[in-house]
Amino acid sequence: MNKTPTVITGTVGMDAHVIGTKVLSRALREAGFKVVELGIQVTPEEFISVAQETKADAILMSSLYGMAELDLKDFNKKRQEAGLQDVLLYIGGNLVIGRYDPKDVEPKFKALGFDRVYPPGVEPEIGIEDLKKDLTAKGKM
Amino acid sequence: MSKMRIVNKKIDDDLLMKKRREELDKWPTGKEVDFEEAAAYQKSLPDSKVWWKVMVKLREQGKMSVFPRAGTPVLSKMIELCQGLRESGVVLIPVTTDSYTRLGQYEKVQGILDECNKTGKALLNGYPIINQGVKNTRKLVESVDAAFSPRGVSSEICIASGLTTYECGLEFITWGAYSKKMTIRELVEKWQQGTRVAGWYADRGVILCTDLHGWLPTAPYPLSVNIVTLILQALTAAEQGLKAIYPLVHCMGNMAQDMAWIRLTPKIIRKYLDKFGYKDCQIIGCCPAQTPLFPNPMDMGGAFAYLSYIAMVGALCKCNAVDLRSIDEAAGVPTKDTNTVSYGAARWIFDVIREQDIDFVVKGSEAEEVVTEKEVEAIMAKILDMGDGDIIDGTIKAVEAGVLDTPWSPNVNVKDKVLGVRDAHGACRYLEFGNLPFNKYIKDWHRGKIAEREKLEGKKADYHTAVRDLWSFSKGKIVGIPPYDK
Repeated sequence: MNKTPTVITGTVGMDAHVIGTKVLSRALREAGFKVVELGIQVTPEEFISVAQETKADAILMSSLYGMAELDLKDFNKKRQEAGLQDVLLYIGGNLVIGRYDPKDVEPKFKALGFDRVYPPGVEPEIGIEDLKKDLTAKGKM
Repeated sequence: MSKMRIVNKKIDDDLLMKKRREELDKWPTGKEVDFEEAAAYQKSLPDSKVWWKVMVKLREQGKMSVFPRAGTPVLSKMIELCQGLRESGVVLIPVTTDSYTRLGQYEKVQGILDECNKTGKALLNGYPIINQGVKNTRKLVESVDAAFSPRGVSSEICIASGLTTYECGLEFITWGAYSKKMTIRELVEKWQQGTRVAGWYADRGVILCTDLHGWLPTAPYPLSVNIVTLILQALTAAEQGLKAIYPLVHCMGNMAQDMAWIRLTPKIIRKYLDKFGYKDCQIIGCCPAQTPLFPNPMDMGGAFAYLSYIAMVGALCKCNAVDLRSIDEAAGVPTKDTNTVSYGAARWIFDVIREQDIDFVVKGSEAEEVVTEKEVEAIMAKILDMGDGDIIDGTIKAVEAGVLDTPWSPNVNVKDKVLGVRDAHGACRYLEFGNLPFNKYIKDWHRGKIAEREKLEGKKADYHTAVRDLWSFSKGKIVGIPPYDK
């Protein structure tokens, strides 16, 4: 890696599910990223302010309790107002309430501004490969 | 400056009354609670709505019930959901609250609840009992002939509404499970205040029951730390006047261990209650629980088998209740239909297996019980030593020193220096002991078991082994080499 990209991790909203974001954070560190690990119950506003402070290249959110859409309703607007259009946005987990086809979920979150959307149980390595690809395409790696 | 010592001592009445009002003043529905009227309403409830009596009756009859999870925001739909549960044979009914209610965000809840009521849609992942208030929730309780228990919130609104268990300030148990930043000192104080409220009702002849969870072992991790926290909860609650408890036993999938833990847990809690002089605090049952990572929302077959396993273990251990999730657990809010099929399956096991009253000991289970008991006694002895005989003071110091520790904790104050993995037979073992006060015998036992797996896999167990094991139970393979590892 020429530059060390900074990524922010955390579980969004009022969600207390922690394991996914802990595993992902450690895998990102081991892959050479600078990781700002915010843990559970991170408000959308906190993601934005920390992204500004740390000049982050990507935000990787987790959500397992099905209410991510509610939590992130105004997130994209606030992100743009904060001048963070260029920050990559990924999200993964159980993103809606009820049984679902992951194919139906992806467009919902893409419409909220996310670059990549993952179902539950995806290995961290897969997300990390995608991240490297996307950052390289943006000339950030 | 040295910190004030918090000790295991009953809170005085003036402080109690002040705290109770403060808590209720957080949302307008708190005005619906009149303490004496709430006690009178509780006393007027028939036995079939009184949780501890229902559980004792089940035990005496050699029967059992599911204790499911269910909550949906709109009152009429919630009534329908609970009536559906009752029709599937459930006599212990939950009022699962939504995540925002659990964190006290009542204003946010109100906006969403109004939207739910307008559209009929379930936009919250539970029943917002605080915003619904006493009048509405009494309608729910009076619509179904069963006992009700709040999930995820401890408020006197629940008691005044006729729910007959009380969570007593979930905070102590949720430390290591839900809370992010609170310290163990703050959480212990909350737990003392909460249990003191239950004690106030007990003084008026109303026995509220509390289920003890301990720190949740969210990943494969031996249960001894959890059992210690159950004992600590029981002792502190009993000091504040709580008269009826029952432990949840978090089953991790290895039957020898699960059955050992189900046998040991109520026995060892009783031992400590008696030792400290709380003989009038009853243990009214034992409830195996489905705690680890659930199969993903689309794996309905796996979800069915998973809940049936817990029901079966409970039936073979002659428990009076089983804490189960429906096949929709991982999908969020269960519907009436999925509840009916899920708990119908459990009821089938209760009727066919439990009623045979089978005497059954799994090979290796007794050895697991012996080791777990030694681990529990070792940690308890260290806590009492650190607290100079006081369990609260000792608990605080033990947590701060990592003598009580749990992996994967969301709370930033937990040491998180310990780790668990499965052995070659799928049993949970300590891989990293952190500062747990275990002797060589205990450590060698775990290391020996892990060595068998290492031989099988041809590599040392490490953090990555623990990560792979997170999925083992939910993906339906705990013995030998995990399938996704080949």
